[in-house]
Amino acid sequence: MASAYFLPAGDYRTSYRADTTIFPTRNSRIALWLGIAILACAPLALGRWELSLLINIGILGIAALGLNILVGFTGQISIGHAAFFGVGAFASAWLHEAFHIPVWACIPLAGAITALVGLVFGAPAARLKGLYLAIATLAAQFILEDFFARSAWFTGGVAGRITEPLTLFGYAFDSEETFFYVVLVAVIVMFTAAANLMRTRDGRALVAVRDHYLSAELMGINLAYYRTLSFGISSLFAGIGGALYAHYLLFVSVEAFNILFSIQFLGMVIIGGLGSIMGSLMGAAFMVLLPEAVQGLADLLAGSALDHALKIGASISYLREMAIGAAIILFLIFEPDGLAHRWRLIKAYWKLYPYSH
Amino acid sequence: MLKRTLLAAAAALAIALPAEAQNRIPVGHLMDNSGATSDVGVPYGQGVADALQWVNRTRNGVAGRQLDVSGFDYGYAAPRAVSQYQAWTGRQRVVAIQGWGTADTEALVRFVNRDRIPYISGSYSAALTDAGGKSGRQGVEAAPFNFFYGPSYSDALRAMLQWAKQDWESRGQQGRPKYVHMGANHPYPNSPKEAGETLARELGFDVLPAIQFALTPGDYTAQCLTLRQQGANYAYLGNTAGSNISVLRACHTAGVQVQFLGNVWGMDENAMKAAGEAANGVVFPVRTAAIWGQEAPGMATVREISRISDPSGNAYRPVHYLAGICAAMLMVEAMETAAEGGGQVTGERIREGFYARQNWVPRGFEGICNPSTFTNEDHRGTLRVALYRARVNGNTAQGSVGELMQAGTMRLEQVTTVELERRRDWLGW
Repeated sequence: MASAYFLPAGDYRTSYRADTTIFPTRNSRIALWLGIAILACAPLALGRWELSLLINIGILGIAALGLNILVGFTGQISIGHAAFFGVGAFASAWLHEAFHIPVWACIPLAGAITALVGLVFGAPAARLKGLYLAIATLAAQFILEDFFARSAWFTGGVAGRITEPLTLFGYAFDSEETFFYVVLVAVIVMFTAAANLMRTRDGRALVAVRDHYLSAELMGINLAYYRTLSFGISSLFAGIGGALYAHYLLFVSVEAFNILFSIQFLGMVIIGGLGSIMGSLMGAAFMVLLPEAVQGLADLLAGSALDHALKIGASISYLREMAIGAAIILFLIFEPDGLAHRWRLIKAYWKLYPYSH
Repeated sequence: MLKRTLLAAAAALAIALPAEAQNRIPVGHLMDNSGATSDVGVPYGQGVADALQWVNRTRNGVAGRQLDVSGFDYGYAAPRAVSQYQAWTGRQRVVAIQGWGTADTEALVRFVNRDRIPYISGSYSAALTDAGGKSGRQGVEAAPFNFFYGPSYSDALRAMLQWAKQDWESRGQQGRPKYVHMGANHPYPNSPKEAGETLARELGFDVLPAIQFALTPGDYTAQCLTLRQQGANYAYLGNTAGSNISVLRACHTAGVQVQFLGNVWGMDENAMKAAGEAANGVVFPVRTAAIWGQEAPGMATVREISRISDPSGNAYRPVHYLAGICAAMLMVEAMETAAEGGGQVTGERIREGFYARQNWVPRGFEGICNPSTFTNEDHRGTLRVALYRARVNGNTAQGSVGELMQAGTMRLEQVTTVELERRRDWLGW
């Protein structure tokens, strides 16, 4: 779409390889490496609080990317994504506690377990579409949530489970400064994997299923196979995100993985941009930063003249919840293509300045 | 245009953000104002908030430094509490936290221990009392930075069981009384379950299988019918007031004759009004030496604190509000001890402040707060459990809680005070 329009003159693609490259220009590649380098230096400049926000963005971004593959790229729907996120979190904690598998191995293993669980619960997707599928995934959410609350052997029951920090060669990644690098690596790996997946035959098949399932089937794409596979891939990402979350917070509890959290994931991919890899990260960033921004605003308001005039007082904290809801609605109305689209427009604006029209 | 707006916004932020006075003491205050336990979380949190603000206004803070209290409503979701904790320690660098629920407090034990931040919880889970980690109980970790005001859930239940035993005998009943634990499958109602059932067996009760009901209000007729079917005589209500009301009303309607024993958060004046006559006879522990409307040396101060959020002075404050004041004042006085002689107010020194006194009643709150004693091995602040009985005669639908209490339609009558032995094997459970 938009990105294809703004290539420098004389940039002719003579091979499929050149056509499907992820970063089309030299500058975009430089920007990428520069961005990673800057992020790698972030722990030197930022405090624990800012780092924890970045870590949250990374973890939720990975899980949101999984949902985006399912919703944005395959055109399916899931309102049980938080439950899969939870499976990953509990599986990693359980693998470490029960089998003493090192945490760095638990995280990908938890991803694999979650992918299997996702395949099971994704089975109805082979036959169901739209609202019916939505309700089927809702069932997954409730079944898994109930399972978390009752299976004390797996989750520690309702009391939750204390998890151990990730250690590598005797070095514990138990602070924001260190765990940030774990998440950074995970984000790079998972996002590269997803971007590459979309360039493969399977990735294109997923997009074809989304764009028109009948045409896709006529072209020889096995609908049932790809729809179920999409659930598996989506759950894999959710599981890895969940496992990282478990070893970051050092505590997992069933209360975290409720349906509201699932809806929040849907919000992330819609706000970030359906069918956009980087959009998933932007959506996660939006969802993490918005409450903080509103909280900051509320803190500024507290005790001010406006506060006294309106007698907001203690209920100022509720402003936060309401503002989040309002922001999401406004976003859907004025920015339906998501942040990824807005980002492309901003890039084009700078590139073509002052002749943007 | 876009650029200019962004620059302006950034500049505004840069001016607003720098922390006002470095001199303030940052304190976290975790509240449940919207979650499953908000029925009792609201008055308790208000008590804590009012008391801390009152300290700022009338006592000019702690040693001349204002308290910078950062409140957060976490909706009784433990993970939100954990992430808010990280925000507090990472950004505000709080030196102490006023907390709330059992699930989140227990999840944070390891963190507050690592960061050396005293954590005064609204959870009275006995697992938090094992300061030295010497109880050797499974799943109980050393909790040297966890404090709370009042008897632990387990100790309160033990006291009620001892009373129940006497009650059974004094009423001349024959045979073995039957005891049943009721509550949600949640860390908070589960906390005293094992301790209660063990002591009940020792005292000669028949212990029935536990009955579950959710932390939120609902239709619990089925649970009441189970109670009747099993022939329970004494039933412990482990949840907070809101959902207990549902049980009491359902059992009242079904005509179930059981002596209910309420958790410390399981009953208060608001619940009595809501449950009406169904709440009549419920026995529950009260943590303060006096309740609202009674006279005591410290009551004038309490009324002054109440005016912080209710300038008219007309509000009726339930038992949890007073308990919140005591919990806040213990922390404040521990801070004052830490600041004595120009000392730093750090987490570790505040903890030492908790150990500085025996039979400790915060200054100015005599007759309100019960004496507490903390040692670095045993954080069971008190083992004295005052039991009250809720008395409701008549319609509670008309009139406010304050009016109903004044008219005598609702009363809290003291039943007995049980002094438990400080048994070592009861530490931590």
